[in-house]
Amino acid sequence: MKKHPLPDSTAEFDKMLTVSPNPHIRSRETTPSLMLCVIIALLPAAVWGVYQFGLRALMIMIVSIVSCVCAEALSALVLKLKFSINDLSAVVTGLLLALNLPVSVPLWMPAVGGVFAIVIVKQLFGGIGKNFLNPALCARVFLFSWAGEMTYFTTPKTALPLFSSDIDAVSTATPLASLNAGALPGIPIIDLFIGKQPGCIGEVSALLLLAGGLFLIIRKVISVRIPLAFIGTVFALTYFFPLGDQDVHYAVASVFSGALFLGAFFMATDYTTSPCTPIGQIIYGVGCGALTVLIRYFGGYPEGVSFAILIMNLFVWFIDKYTKPTPFGHVKPEKPKKPKKAKGGEAE
Amino acid sequence: MSLTFIGGIHPRENKNAKDKPIELLPPPESIRLSMSQHIGVHCTPTVAVGDHVYKYQCIGKITSGLGVPVHSSISGTVKEITKSVTPDNVEKQTVIIENDGQNTPDPSVRGFDGPLSELSAAQIIERVRDAGISGMGGATFPSYAKINSAAGKVKHLIINCCECEPYICANYRLMIEDPDAVINGAKLLMKALGLRRCDIAIEDNKKEAIRLFTKKLSGNQMFTVRKMKTKYPQGDERQLIFAIYNVMIPQGKLPADVGCVIFNTETTAAVFRAVAYGIPLCERIVTVDGDCVKEPKNILCPIGAPLSDLVDFCGGLVKPPKKIIFGGPMMGQAQWDIRSPVSKGTSAALLLSASATTEYEHRSACIRCGKCVGVCPMHLMPTYLASFSRTYNFDMCEKFGVMSCVECGSCTYVCPGRVPIVQLIRSAKVRIKENRAKKS
Repeated sequence: MKKHPLPDSTAEFDKMLTVSPNPHIRSRETTPSLMLCVIIALLPAAVWGVYQFGLRALMIMIVSIVSCVCAEALSALVLKLKFSINDLSAVVTGLLLALNLPVSVPLWMPAVGGVFAIVIVKQLFGGIGKNFLNPALCARVFLFSWAGEMTYFTTPKTALPLFSSDIDAVSTATPLASLNAGALPGIPIIDLFIGKQPGCIGEVSALLLLAGGLFLIIRKVISVRIPLAFIGTVFALTYFFPLGDQDVHYAVASVFSGALFLGAFFMATDYTTSPCTPIGQIIYGVGCGALTVLIRYFGGYPEGVSFAILIMNLFVWFIDKYTKPTPFGHVKPEKPKKPKKAKGGEAE
Repeated sequence: MSLTFIGGIHPRENKNAKDKPIELLPPPESIRLSMSQHIGVHCTPTVAVGDHVYKYQCIGKITSGLGVPVHSSISGTVKEITKSVTPDNVEKQTVIIENDGQNTPDPSVRGFDGPLSELSAAQIIERVRDAGISGMGGATFPSYAKINSAAGKVKHLIINCCECEPYICANYRLMIEDPDAVINGAKLLMKALGLRRCDIAIEDNKKEAIRLFTKKLSGNQMFTVRKMKTKYPQGDERQLIFAIYNVMIPQGKLPADVGCVIFNTETTAAVFRAVAYGIPLCERIVTVDGDCVKEPKNILCPIGAPLSDLVDFCGGLVKPPKKIIFGGPMMGQAQWDIRSPVSKGTSAALLLSASATTEYEHRSACIRCGKCVGVCPMHLMPTYLASFSRTYNFDMCEKFGVMSCVECGSCTYVCPGRVPIVQLIRSAKVRIKENRAKKS
């Protein structure tokens, strides 16, 4: 009579059922899937870095990622945190750190940086989602303790040893050095956009970083607000207040130089260390852009993106607090309004 | 352009039974009628064990207070009156009736002789109350009380045909199979409320229903068909009123406070049947769906019928369910028994396997992506509410507007970290209410 496979005892059947509060369905997006999107978006710039700077760049990425993942696993054990390697966030941190280093750094530097980023900046604050500074950027700034290595940029396509830290190539100035001196860089702007200038492994190609950023925006992993506000502010400030007697070329060159695109699309948009309200994200982006230009113009080190983002990271809670959206139907002192004339027309 | 609100989500619609016509359930062997299928006081049984009852006979009455009576949906013998735990997980008195197979209707049930236009508002309200009609979309608020509280106060009547939850298509089938019942019910409600206008809000994924209603109501000055964007929670009264009239209901107030009253599609049709034919609410359309069901169907079934009968009628199970849900997957209630009876508010029964339903994870962690902030239809910041609730910081919860939360679950649906956000918010709300009660 009964067609469904109902066991004889109700108790047995009921043991198979889960009774839990609604909602009973979830979107298919998970933390690992979002992190995977970020990794995919970073790949073009990473591949370009290897193409421009040689296999040593790949070696740095590997060391950095392995260091981050191992640090995450070991610290989770020691600190009794959730085992979280499979959320791929350590891989993203490692990759971002490597992309933020010059190719000539000795290989122990990405290793030390990775441990610093994961253990000190992230895990000691409670793991993923609890840190208030961007781990990869913090590690990069930490590595500035070895300022010589961190500011030693070689020309692209220079043959470098794969493992040895014995670099005999000549250090060269990045385009930012001439920009901050009030002159246009010697490299044509189109080459800056494609990424043929010296610089950190992953920051040179604005084109490929833009492609990765657009991928993230289309997949709705990040919103366009932070990158647009960040880059827009840098462009506006360098356009209206150029160093020296420069025209729009100066602003365009400023935008395509240094770590701006990497920072705006991949570092400033780090979920944990950026505001989550729409207005807050715009304020944060503008703040990052303004600080970047200030540090570039007046700071001792030519690049300001990392410092700007880290400084703005510290303001995230206050930005969120003061840009809190008004709840729907928030009770104001005055009497509620009566419905006005209905908006919209008849259905088709 | 479809009308809509700010925020919200669009889960996979999964309306597998969309093209399945409504079918009548074969008479069940017995039914279990809970004495409280509505918001308000419980009914007192008016029958005793061994009594014979007719179909449509009133078996539970409200002696005082807010509530609606319960009617038998079959004819037969009262077998047992017992306390049992009903689908909404509260212990209530339940009358079990054994079917005699005769389906004899109560001889006292009579329609209204003469044209419906002669009915007065008070007569309509009385008939709606005696028919035991309560909101059939899931909230189960007694309809007569809603009319009473809104009459003279409101300017807009909205018939809510949004059905924004995945899977459910009971309202949609009703709209395209019996549009006249909905339209006539709306006319009666307008009469009872003293209104001359009515909006019918239909989501734009129900193209056939929009086409049909626009055609039927073209040239009719009283009705306006509103095309709503397919989005969850479009059917929520706050969002519906905002989308149509651009008015926000102040926190803690009701639709009537902004001059609106909303009725569900099926409730409206039930009002028509009750007023015109005197038939009380003892049948409803239930969408049986989910990946464990062989053939998803829309079933017109007697209230009180066990779900297992409905599942049999759908061809049985193809795999063991992980979850049985009464209602939609976003707002519905999980059941622990496949024999749970259908009640007045059961719009759907979903049997989902482990792959079709997702739980929160104990290893969940918020990555502060802010997706919940973007989807919250009440413009809250669920991520902060959840973390404040987790640390028992209820003052901050209140400052961040936790009491505005309507618990639609959009934040929890979208959370990539699988944080039980809405559950944490709920527990904060309960604690805050407790603390307030203690203080006063």
